Amino acid sequence: MQKKVACSFPDEVLEHVFSFIQSDKDRNAVSMVCKSWYEIERWCRRKIFIGNCYAVSPRMVIRRFPKVRSIELKGKPHFADFNLVPDGWGGYVLPWIAEMAGAYPWLEEIRLKRMVVTDECLELIAKSFKNFKVLVLFSCEGFSTDGLAAIAASCMNLRELDLRDSDVDDLGGHWLSHFPETYTSLVSLNSSCLGSDEVSLSALERLVGRCTNLRTLRLNRAVPLDKIANILGRAPQLVDFGTGTYGADLQSDVFSSLAGAFSSCKELRSLSGFWDVVPAYLPAIYPVCSRLTSLNLSYVTIQSPDLVKLLRHCPSLQRLLVLDYIEDSGLEALSSSCKDLQELRVFPSDPFGEEPNVSLTEQGLVSVCLACPKLQSVLYFCRRMSNVALVTIAQNCPNLTRFRLCIIEPRTADFLTLEPLDVGFGAIVEHCKDLRRLSLSGLLTDRVFEYIGRYAKKLEMLSVAFAGESDLGLHHVLSGCESLRKLEIRDCPFGDKALLANASKLETMRSLWMSSCAVSFGACKLLGQKMPRLNVEVIDESGPPDSRPDSCPVDKLYIYRSVAGPRFDMPPFVWTMDEDSALQVHALHVAEYNRKPDWIGVGTYEESIQGLRAKMPFVLYLAELSNTSQCSSQPLLSGDTTLTPPRPLLRLPIETLESDDKTQRSKEGKYMIKMRYSMNPTICFEIRPISTRSFPGV
Amino acid sequence: MPNMEFELGLALPTPNIIKGFDLNNLGLDQPKDMGGLEARNKAARCFSDKSKRSFEQAFGNSEEEYKTKTLLLWSGQPNEEDDHKDQKKRTFSTIDENDAEEVDQVVGWPPIKTWRKKIFQQQHRVGRIGNNRVADTDSGRSIYVKVKMEGVAITRKVDIRLYHSYQTLTNSLITLFARDKKCADDDYTRYILTYLDKEGDWLIAGDIPWQSFIRSVQRLKIIQKICTFWS
Repeated sequence: MQKKVACSFPDEVLEHVFSFIQSDKDRNAVSMVCKSWYEIERWCRRKIFIGNCYAVSPRMVIRRFPKVRSIELKGKPHFADFNLVPDGWGGYVLPWIAEMAGAYPWLEEIRLKRMVVTDECLELIAKSFKNFKVLVLFSCEGFSTDGLAAIAASCMNLRELDLRDSDVDDLGGHWLSHFPETYTSLVSLNSSCLGSDEVSLSALERLVGRCTNLRTLRLNRAVPLDKIANILGRAPQLVDFGTGTYGADLQSDVFSSLAGAFSSCKELRSLSGFWDVVPAYLPAIYPVCSRLTSLNLSYVTIQSPDLVKLLRHCPSLQRLLVLDYIEDSGLEALSSSCKDLQELRVFPSDPFGEEPNVSLTEQGLVSVCLACPKLQSVLYFCRRMSNVALVTIAQNCPNLTRFRLCIIEPRTADFLTLEPLDVGFGAIVEHCKDLRRLSLSGLLTDRVFEYIGRYAKKLEMLSVAFAGESDLGLHHVLSGCESLRKLEIRDCPFGDKALLANASKLETMRSLWMSSCAVSFGACKLLGQKMPRLNVEVIDESGPPDSRPDSCPVDKLYIYRSVAGPRFDMPPFVWTMDEDSALQVHALHVAEYNRKPDWIGVGTYEESIQGLRAKMPFVLYLAELSNTSQCSSQPLLSGDTTLTPPRPLLRLPIETLESDDKTQRSKEGKYMIKMRYSMNPTICFEIRPISTRSFPGV
Repeated sequence: MPNMEFELGLALPTPNIIKGFDLNNLGLDQPKDMGGLEARNKAARCFSDKSKRSFEQAFGNSEEEYKTKTLLLWSGQPNEEDDHKDQKKRTFSTIDENDAEEVDQVVGWPPIKTWRKKIFQQQHRVGRIGNNRVADTDSGRSIYVKVKMEGVAITRKVDIRLYHSYQTLTNSLITLFARDKKCADDDYTRYILTYLDKEGDWLIAGDIPWQSFIRSVQRLKIIQKICTFWS
């Protein structure tokens, strides 16, 4: 009976209904109702979010969802933000762009976080997607303003270009002039991370002037204060503005034109930037302060009284980022002026100083929590905390969804009682029932993890550092936190037991990071062998882990679920634990986007071919070990293992070998293999013989 | 059989959606990984073949299955052999907690994004920071000096470039330290401002022109006037 009802709707009707369903979770649920709904849904899914770019391969995504218009990808683990992930770890977006260039000609949006993007990628985007509209590069790296110039020149429908927090090689501001004079569709531009002193001000002004739909404009530091008035004058419709440098010698005419420009921006709701602030210029923004909902003063190095004076003008503020110069007194003033505050982030002005340089303690945070009932998201750096303060915060802010506390000195106890802060954080997880994200700090025993496992049922992301006493702590979290997706741990005494006992929990999470803990290499191997749907990556810059006993702890461990199997773009210091580590082959070197061939790796020919694992189109060359500058002029073999079914790797016929003078040798010689993507870069593989497990030195 | 080691007390793991495909049974000509890839492709195809459970198996929260699959039978109790008091002796730890200075050298701690750290480092350097964009070569970026007041625990830092005269500097310092010191207004006359100059001498602020002062000042100290020698 049910089946009849389902069949009575034509596909187009169902597709139309599905078009109202936007959330990924709902879409996934829809696709599992029955086979026909699965089929219909996959053809009309337009937006894909992939939280870990190595969890699935581009081919798999394209195969299932052929008509995607918008994709979001995340690469490196979160701790990469703090230099814990060595350079070269991975997160390359080129294979994705290369595949999508062919499969999704109508792709409109690409959003990337913590990925390595090259100018080649940007050029490929510019020429492959005719209707490209949105490019967001959040904390990315590897590209320069030349790549941006390519985007600017070709993407006539570009609406959003957001480079927030990215590490860009800024070769000067000329890329802006690559936007053609006929281009007017810009809605959002965030170039605040660009570091060069040069910027093409005239190109910027003209661009801003002709893009009448511009709503977000975040400038970089190179744009001087006296140019702001001119820019704002051309874009009074701005909603979100980030200044460049906000300091200069005080001149009254500059001040008055600045104030005039700000006051004509009636839609302005968010301000940021403010590098090198001269306090005398701050009152120029007073005309817009009453409407501001978001204010980022995290580069503003002025003292508390001046900060308070400014904040008193902002009663509608919902989001504030500020340095700890604000101090407890400033936060108290904030709590009485800004009753609508939802998000507060307080950054340390001198995180590496030996003594505190400001009077900011737990009291500041407590006063805000007591007075701002809508507070949901907190990031707070301070030097002391107490259980009593945390309990007060928990009881007064039960709506907290994100709570990140960083007590600067690791393992700092409750300053009043000298006890661990277990009870305080326990209160946070107990009272804040919707808590999704938590970062711990201070002195913590296994007890805090018991509380977290018991109460934090909605917790999705947990960050732990210098905490806990035994495996029991980790066990509490892995066995208790039902919604846990991301767990990152550093410098905690967690070892093999809890990890192995909760192995299958790891398949329900996106990823687990553990560094400077006590997980042994043997446990990693066991996990890798027994859990085929997990990629267990050991990161160790001091050398191959199997040159030490299995009981030795690994330096860094990154475990993530994947349906794509182990990846092949790993650098020399990353090892994937796999079903059969004897056949483990991994990339020794990713040539630096410059297409220079690199020859590394040894093995007998026979063993090489058998041991080869490839997942991309490849071309096989042969070279003599002693003469690495020369290779056979003809490729010996090619294949494409990304096709389905994968073409098997052929054994090279002897006659081909012998026919080439340069490569005349017996089968038992030593050879090298060079692999190449169909689009660069070149990736080289080491071929390990089947019989040995040792890692040959390079 | 790979599951033997941990089948005691455990339910079977999730049904293998690639059942029938024996990864160990490949011919030597076939690189092992091909098998893996083949298996996964087959698994992906299983999706459209009535295998309704595939998604759930991979990413669902099928509790009874997941709770029981472990690679180690562990009672979940702290190991009696572990001496909790000796936890601090972990050899793998990168930080000796008794040595506070090492905190600076701990990688990635405190957890501040790299670009933010760069900005702090620029701003805390005493002296002119490079890359002047403004034509006036004298106005660089911030110059921070430490300010210590007698009787106040906290040493503050001020950016000298924000001020253009001794008067504005003094006013600002008064406001700054007023909360810490809590004096009556007339008490301020009992304090004098001194500074450490480039040659390492402590001098009374106010004698030299402002521009020379800001080029020379290294530190500031506010001390009480106890002796009428200078007044």
